[in-house]
Amino acid sequence: MAYSFPEEVLEYVFAFLSSHKDRNAVSLVCKSWYEIERWCRRRIFIGNCYAVSPQIVIRRFPEVRAVKIKGKPHFADFNLVPEGWGAYVYPWISAMVRSYPWLEEIKLKRMVVTDESLELLSKSFKNFKVLVLSSCEGFTTDGLASIAANCRNLRELDLRECEVEDLSGHWLSHFPDNFTSLVSLNMSCLGSEVSFSALERLVSRCPNLRTLRLNRAVPVEKLPNLLRRAPQLVEFGTGAYSAENQTDIFSNLVEAFSGCKHLKSLSGFWDVDPAYLPAMYYACTGITSLNLSNATVQSPDLVELIIQCPNLKCLWRERELIEDMTTQVLDYIEDAGLKALPSYCKDLQELRVFPSDPYGAEPNVSLTEQGLVTVSAGCPKLQSVLYFCRQMSNAALITIARNRPNLIRFRLCIIDPQAPDYLTLEPLDTGFGAIVEHCKELLRLSMSGLLTDRVFEYIGTHAKKLEMLSIAFAGDSDLGLHNVLSGCESLRKLEIMDCPFGDKALLANAAKLETMRSLWMSSCSVSYGACKLLGQKMPKLNVEVMDERGHPDSRPETCPVEKLYIYRTVAGPRVDKPNFVWTMDEDAVLRLS
Amino acid sequence: MKLQLKLALPSNLDEGFDLNYRNEDQEEEEDCRLMKKKRSFDETFEEIKNVEIPRTLSLLDHIDLCDEEDGVVGWPPINSWRKKICHHHHNRHGCNATMNYVTVENGGRGGSGRGRSNYMYVKVKMEGVGIARKEKVQGYKLTYQDKEGDWLLAGDMPWGTFIKSVQRLKLLRNGH
Repeated sequence: MAYSFPEEVLEYVFAFLSSHKDRNAVSLVCKSWYEIERWCRRRIFIGNCYAVSPQIVIRRFPEVRAVKIKGKPHFADFNLVPEGWGAYVYPWISAMVRSYPWLEEIKLKRMVVTDESLELLSKSFKNFKVLVLSSCEGFTTDGLASIAANCRNLRELDLRECEVEDLSGHWLSHFPDNFTSLVSLNMSCLGSEVSFSALERLVSRCPNLRTLRLNRAVPVEKLPNLLRRAPQLVEFGTGAYSAENQTDIFSNLVEAFSGCKHLKSLSGFWDVDPAYLPAMYYACTGITSLNLSNATVQSPDLVELIIQCPNLKCLWRERELIEDMTTQVLDYIEDAGLKALPSYCKDLQELRVFPSDPYGAEPNVSLTEQGLVTVSAGCPKLQSVLYFCRQMSNAALITIARNRPNLIRFRLCIIDPQAPDYLTLEPLDTGFGAIVEHCKELLRLSMSGLLTDRVFEYIGTHAKKLEMLSIAFAGDSDLGLHNVLSGCESLRKLEIMDCPFGDKALLANAAKLETMRSLWMSSCSVSYGACKLLGQKMPKLNVEVMDERGHPDSRPETCPVEKLYIYRTVAGPRVDKPNFVWTMDEDAVLRLS
Repeated sequence: MKLQLKLALPSNLDEGFDLNYRNEDQEEEEDCRLMKKKRSFDETFEEIKNVEIPRTLSLLDHIDLCDEEDGVVGWPPINSWRKKICHHHHNRHGCNATMNYVTVENGGRGGSGRGRSNYMYVKVKMEGVGIARKEKVQGYKLTYQDKEGDWLLAGDMPWGTFIKSVQRLKLLRNGH
């Protein structure tokens, strides 16, 4: 007979395991560990809201305190998923209200959240503390008012890039006078003005406030009052950073910023007037994260600001926090600005350069591949890159790969689709091949430019740790897709748009799809017939065809579907599909359209 | 390493689960071709160049400088937040960014207020090519098929009438 530790001891040990992977591994050891673990799991992460149902989750984990759920596929960010597709949070909230009365934390990404959901959650969870909504939509400022009014123990309200129907700024005034627990408030995505006096009173009475990200409507003249009331701030996002009357405001800002001795992160800077940037210099010595991606600041001013932040770097924390600890800029920084970066910010870990004018036919700034090459050479800790540019070469990519074998995320967007190596006019296969070959820990890759099947050979051969791959306008044939599906052992998410991939690779690698979270294919050549076959043969997958031209039965079976979204699930076909989505399964084949 | 793609495997599920064992493919393709003759204009594989009509037909109307209908949907991969910043910035700098017309006569070009050549792109499926791609509108003329099946040059009639009668659009290279 095997002797085991008492349950309490195991529970105590398990409490030290925070990573989901570790907890999942523990639960597979044996039945008794599974039982003990499920009763003491407090935090769950659901990467795809349709992979499992609320009932199944609640049945397995009865004592959850924190939930993180993701909804729509990533390409929804780029308007590829029509409205009404799904990812509604209401069923989750109503189920959790019944079963998790002590729920404290809800974090959602790409989900549809209604005012009704917000009101329900605010009135039902007495100890509710943290609400983070990332790229969510479907609610108005009335929903926020419910949260403010009813969540007496709220610590975090974080709205990141949400589509909120902005009825008025009055929601903020709904925080009661005796409410003092706020630690983090991010309202940067809201449009309308909140009452400044209400905001000032709120900031004054919350001594633990460490994050405050204002929206654009807060003018720069209001900042000094706010900063004076919250000198303990660690993360601060300004509103519009310009004004007409200069002198008074400037000196007030200098004074206010110099009082903030703990600032580590700055963001905001809409409509920035470079003349006001120096006001921040006193606060900059501790800055480790700078988000200037709203700031249309020209290169010299930007470099000045960066020079003032010698500690610009990322602290290694949980992966989701790392995305805040970055330098984010528009391409106004130009090659010259990027050249300065390594001298001043040796510890830089993540760089994101967004385009200021993505739809113009000609470049409006002098930003080329050289900027990225320079940063890759001079910043030894650089591990995460998102870079928009208009030209790239294999030589540059090979150099970057050799300089930075420690890259874990590499997302390159060359704005013109299928742009070749601008020096040789060849495809960029060898360049990206070098990236996957040298960067052995690469977790995420997005490619662009002219790419043939060859690049997928390299990826299948080398990218063994790759978890997420995004492809557009690439490849010549099914061999490309086959190489990815059969070679990338760690692949979890694959998203493909406008590539000539058809049925063969998909059907030959059907089993692979059960080991992944999801596969997205749009404007490819996968036939309706293949989708039906896949749906029939793979009951553990939801094979969803999305087509706005009407039911695919009205077209021949060999005709390609518009969009295909395949994901593994234990919840069966979803019941909330809109009229342009069909689940391929046994029933679908027999059902009349 | 040469990777061979098997086209047909036995239906033994243990062997990599290749579902490529249908041999009705050839028959189906023939059916598809036959049926095409009866198809209406919303079939997938066009055998002529055509313009994929965005739902809002915004290509033929006002176009925001930062409206993604200018080019391929979903490309470049920029989310709506970033587009708003781009849009605001151009507005702020006094550009005529909200009005960007494409005229439909020969040699029509999209103009922007910024005084430099700025092409309008459309997403087209080119003859014989499976992937849609962006093409500059300049250098093509726009023709359309009306309810009677006749092909006409676009731009010869009022917008309202045009919209009621258009069935398909075709871009022809100048000179054809």
